[in-house]
Amino acid sequence: MLVGLLSFTSGCNNSLSESTNSTPRSQSASKTTFNQQILRDFADKVVIPTNHLFAVKAKELSLAVDALVKNPNQKTLQNAQNAWVAARSPWEQSECFGFGPVKTLGYDGSLDTWPVNETDLKKVLDSQDPITREYIEKRQDTEKGFHVIEYLLFGEGKNRQVNQLKKRELAYLQALAEDFSRVASLLADSWTKGVEGKPAYREIIATSGNSSNTIYPTIQTGGQEIVAGMVDSLSEVSNSKIGKAFAKKDSKLAESRFSLNTLTDLKHNVEGAQNVYLGHFLAEKTAGMGLTNYISEVNPSLDYKVKQEFQLALKALNQIPQPFEKSVVDPQSANTIKAAQEAVNNLSDTLDKEVKPLIKS
Amino acid sequence: MELQLNPSKNKYFQLIIIFLSAIAIGIALSIWLNYNPLTSQLLKAGGETTIFDRTSHGMQQPAPNLTEKQLALHIEGDSAFEATFVTAPAPIHSGLGPLFNNSSCTNCHINDGRGTPVKGQMLVRVSYPPNQLAKIDQNNPAVVLGNTPPVAKLGNQIQDQAIYGFTPKAAVEVEWLEKSGTYGDGSLYKLRSPQLKITLPDSKLLSSDILTSLRVPPPVFGRGLLEAISESTILDLADPEDKNNDGISGRVNRVWDMRKKAVVLGRFGLKANNPNLYQQNAAAYVNDMGITNPLFPEPDRRMDIDAKILESTTFYTQTIAVPGRTLTDDPIVQHGEKLFTQANCAVCHVAELHTGDHEIQQIAHQTIHPYTDMLIHNLGEGLADGRPDFLASGNEWRTPPLWGLGLTQTVLPYSSYLHDGRARDLAEAILWHGGEAEKSKESFRNMSQSDRTALIKFLASL
Repeated sequence: MLVGLLSFTSGCNNSLSESTNSTPRSQSASKTTFNQQILRDFADKVVIPTNHLFAVKAKELSLAVDALVKNPNQKTLQNAQNAWVAARSPWEQSECFGFGPVKTLGYDGSLDTWPVNETDLKKVLDSQDPITREYIEKRQDTEKGFHVIEYLLFGEGKNRQVNQLKKRELAYLQALAEDFSRVASLLADSWTKGVEGKPAYREIIATSGNSSNTIYPTIQTGGQEIVAGMVDSLSEVSNSKIGKAFAKKDSKLAESRFSLNTLTDLKHNVEGAQNVYLGHFLAEKTAGMGLTNYISEVNPSLDYKVKQEFQLALKALNQIPQPFEKSVVDPQSANTIKAAQEAVNNLSDTLDKEVKPLIKS
Repeated sequence: MELQLNPSKNKYFQLIIIFLSAIAIGIALSIWLNYNPLTSQLLKAGGETTIFDRTSHGMQQPAPNLTEKQLALHIEGDSAFEATFVTAPAPIHSGLGPLFNNSSCTNCHINDGRGTPVKGQMLVRVSYPPNQLAKIDQNNPAVVLGNTPPVAKLGNQIQDQAIYGFTPKAAVEVEWLEKSGTYGDGSLYKLRSPQLKITLPDSKLLSSDILTSLRVPPPVFGRGLLEAISESTILDLADPEDKNNDGISGRVNRVWDMRKKAVVLGRFGLKANNPNLYQQNAAAYVNDMGITNPLFPEPDRRMDIDAKILESTTFYTQTIAVPGRTLTDDPIVQHGEKLFTQANCAVCHVAELHTGDHEIQQIAHQTIHPYTDMLIHNLGEGLADGRPDFLASGNEWRTPPLWGLGLTQTVLPYSSYLHDGRARDLAEAILWHGGEAEKSKESFRNMSQSDRTALIKFLASL
């Protein structure tokens, strides 16, 4: 009843409309409406540059692995490991827009399936099967992608010595990194040019609300898609990526346990969501309209709160001692992990419960 | 003074009354606008389990009315649904295969949505024609009643993937045969149907005597509500002898409940060949992923997942929210809805049902809008797979629910419709209807282009 009364009166009273503009009805009376420019910039200034950098870094990883295979020594191994970490950054930042071709066309599975099928991988390595890129392409997703490359490059607990890498492991790594780079390029193309005869996915999100767009029939559904993606990635960080390993105190459940890169992954997930909110991707020097431009107009204090909570979440993650794989089983670090989980959860809740409703039609 | 005061008092009271009336009207108006019972009921496709999310996440949210404890179990089940299995031995998620179609629930049911006919998402069911009953195990009632005599070396499902060192049962390729047709107004349409090429390990093609049925994964949400519809509600909708003479004769499938060890009403699966979600999930674990479980253990009773995991996955599939409708204020959508009713589509795709008792209170006694009657119908030769399943004939399919239909390609771009994903859009899906739905299909085919557009727009609003 009270809500009904407020939403009724806000239509007649300008001073009240400021404080009740979280209801959809009064929002339409506001001078600012959620518009396509934010969606176009989301595609052009955030998604496409992130995917582009990922494709570039995946290619560099493949070249670094080539160099390792050609001349295996501690230095080339180190370079390949660094290239893996560098490729991981844009990929993790892209997880908050994991909708569209990345899922449907199987790129996510091929690039980032977890866990590694160690048993089958060992059997393949022990076999006489000729190892080619085409052979890898046909293997299960659990025998390819980031974590298999990681497993081979870093070994258990980041202890890999170059002389441990056998000839077939190097051959597998080389074919795998080549296939990985191929898929990363397909992902980038799927948004810009379109693949397999399908239109560029950029158009789908950027034209939300156009009468011909059946996937996002309103601008608001396009806007909600990008918020839902952030919420999904952030809640995965707190509930699943931190939550599972922390609940069971088991470092085997940490996502990047071979490279001990899990904590860095988590920060990149949060930074990726922040990129979407702010409408930029600084690594590629692109910037446009973000959700912040809209939220700061309709509810400045909420905009401030969201920005603040991004900072708090990143700060809390920075408080967890590296590596996560050790902290997660160390009782002395438990408070920092709990605090980070809570900070990411708060942010996720604010986006879900306060930001998303503002984008409703 | 009194004389002077009275008019001002009156005026004062009048003002109060006007003010109070204005507030009352305001409240009434805002309640009506916000909570118009007709609109809100229509929008609430899944009763109290409805969410309003028309994004790619719209088919995989927890029902909003779960208790905190239930939500925790739902999240646990969600995580089991997402778990990718690997070859044993493994520190986690051990036990894949040895033969499988995919390695996790979610790899087929991507975003819990409708899948596409590609390797990893599609699967092929096989059986001998039922007249070859001599080949079956007469002691197993599920097999005797199932009408799907298992094929030597293949069983009832072609697992086209295998862990290292094992050979998949066969390789499945799909080729598409196109045919064209004409709308009543003379405009052309094209339809495609799958032609299966199944190559056995010895490089021979599967004999054409063997019955095959290609399937793509249906969406997962709202299934608990369908489980909670009482048997009498479904039986009341059935008209096996077509006594009302409308050309539509829905009937129930009767299937084997492995826990009850009894014949019961079939509800799930494209031919309603599974009685409940527990059995449906257990069968999917063992058939699609090679994950043995309490209902389908290894011969020595060992199993890859325990009862707790199977129960949590079942709970997850019972408690996913139903996405609410969109664009219900659009006059074209409203016109399309009328056409849907006029063309008798709603006789099978029943708009409103009520759920009955269920052990999960949150899905019991809900008014829902699933657009299904849960019955099997003859859809004609064009759609037939020719493969009987329990009482369902080769021409019969269970009416699929249409709720959330408009979200299909938002959740999974490029996905397609009908049991084998042959229909590339909703118009094609309608045009494939035949048999009991022939007249409805013809109504659509003979509509003007604007009416066809309106009907499709109505479907997209679901």
